[in-house]
Amino acid sequence: MIHLSVGQIPISFQEYWQSIFNFDEHAANEIIAREIRFPRLYMSLIAGASLSVVGLLMQTLFNNPLAGPYVLGINSGSSLFVALSIMTGIPFLTSDLGIIANSLLGAFLFGLVILFFSRIVRTQIALLLVGLMLGSFVSAFVSFIQSASNAQELKVFTLWALGSLQKVEYTQLPLIILITAIGIVGSFLIIKPLNILVLGEKEAKLLGVNIKQVRLVIIIITAILTGLVTAFCGPIAFVGLAVPNLVRILFKTQQHFILIAASIMMGALFILVCDIFIQLVEPYFMLPINVLTSIIGAPMVIFFVLKRLK
Amino acid sequence: MIRTENLNIGHRSSLLQIENLSLQKGNLYFLIGKNGSGKSTFLKTLSGQIKSISGELFLDDILSTTIHFGELPKTVSFVSSHFPIVDFLKVEDFISLGRSYHTSYFGIVKSIDNHVISDIIIKLKIKHLIGRFTSDLSDGERQLVAIAKALVQETPIILLDEPTAFLDYSNKKLVLETLKKICADMNKCIILSSHDIDMSLEMNCPFLVIDSKSKKLQLFSSNTKKKELLLLAFD
Repeated sequence: MIHLSVGQIPISFQEYWQSIFNFDEHAANEIIAREIRFPRLYMSLIAGASLSVVGLLMQTLFNNPLAGPYVLGINSGSSLFVALSIMTGIPFLTSDLGIIANSLLGAFLFGLVILFFSRIVRTQIALLLVGLMLGSFVSAFVSFIQSASNAQELKVFTLWALGSLQKVEYTQLPLIILITAIGIVGSFLIIKPLNILVLGEKEAKLLGVNIKQVRLVIIIITAILTGLVTAFCGPIAFVGLAVPNLVRILFKTQQHFILIAASIMMGALFILVCDIFIQLVEPYFMLPINVLTSIIGAPMVIFFVLKRLK
Repeated sequence: MIRTENLNIGHRSSLLQIENLSLQKGNLYFLIGKNGSGKSTFLKTLSGQIKSISGELFLDDILSTTIHFGELPKTVSFVSSHFPIVDFLKVEDFISLGRSYHTSYFGIVKSIDNHVISDIIIKLKIKHLIGRFTSDLSDGERQLVAIAKALVQETPIILLDEPTAFLDYSNKKLVLETLKKICADMNKCIILSSHDIDMSLEMNCPFLVIDSKSKKLQLFSSNTKKKELLLLAFD
């Protein structure tokens, strides 16, 4: 199964990509390919893969198939800290590195907050409510900061918050790929505890899993991957929630080696397809990636919820 | 196998005393007591989920406080009263998680592990369940699968928290008889908590009774009369 998907998906998306290259745009010259196409391609793959892996880890950690970086407000943490850093107007904080650092920090802190709430609330739905409230609290707070900031700062933040895959430059790619690789390799290193965590934390403890350590590792990976993607692309909703669920339905397994590998493939493919669509409609209107993933993702979430409540 | 010296257990305050108890291999013990009398607390203490308040507990002749939590799965396995409800978890994947202590860093199931697993599957007569999802099993099948997971852990001590609670008569009988047979065949020390006194008497096994008045846990032989058990535990 996995070999098949490993072989197939890259081939089919390359063909897609090629066809779009040739059909959509005028003869692709080297500068466009290097400065726009490649970063955008890599960023699509990275964003999709990262968010899906994070979603999977959170779903396993919280034993909740409806968990994800967006619904649990991890993105919000990034947004809040990026907003704060941009509004301070301090040059370092508004630089790329400053935004990445703040985004990671925000994601990590909000990860800890959610972890804290997950110890208190008992039901799956309650945790999601906490996450959503965290999200709306932050967006209210961010609006408040916006109203108090000047035009230049507002412009920088609004552009960031719209979210897009085009902001990355070629020279930033090595760093981004390196950080993403750390997060993804990290998640492969905890396959065994993840597999056991499927049974719940109590059972995992009885089988000798060091829960506290695993929890922390998961939150760190979550912060790294979500923070990075959010820093460059802005918030992207529902990918982290929907993709792991699709993967489980398709592969019908709880073995995390397969789930992680498949989430990477499917997540990358998902954003890629979304971005292809965005590029196709670009001559007519601007479609932010977050808008498109919400349009596709939100109904899926409702579907999953209904299926679980039945 | 399990030995206590003036053990005092409870969640914060003392709930139950176990003065001097010595439980042997090859025996199946029925743990009997009122709701809230400390049955679960006792099992949780033995399985290292909560710490004892005072006194000493020896598991396999090792003082329990000196056992690292990562090493406990070598000695004690625990079958919870709640079966985890998870989609797409295959029976064989579930059972092989019981091997976790024995597998390497990445948890890869090797041929030795598979040998143990298939051995247990044959012993429990659940070969027909292989390939099915745990979410599709009946309560009785789930209990057998959960027991299989505990058995592949290859621990001398197995604890079960109300394994017959959700089962009908024939499944109860099947589970208990299977456990009794395993106990004798594989020389295990098994303790299970139960509310079903009649069933327990039928199995002809020793009892661990929590005295409802003195809050003490005591061992009684298999030929104890029902009247006596009821008087001690529930009066």
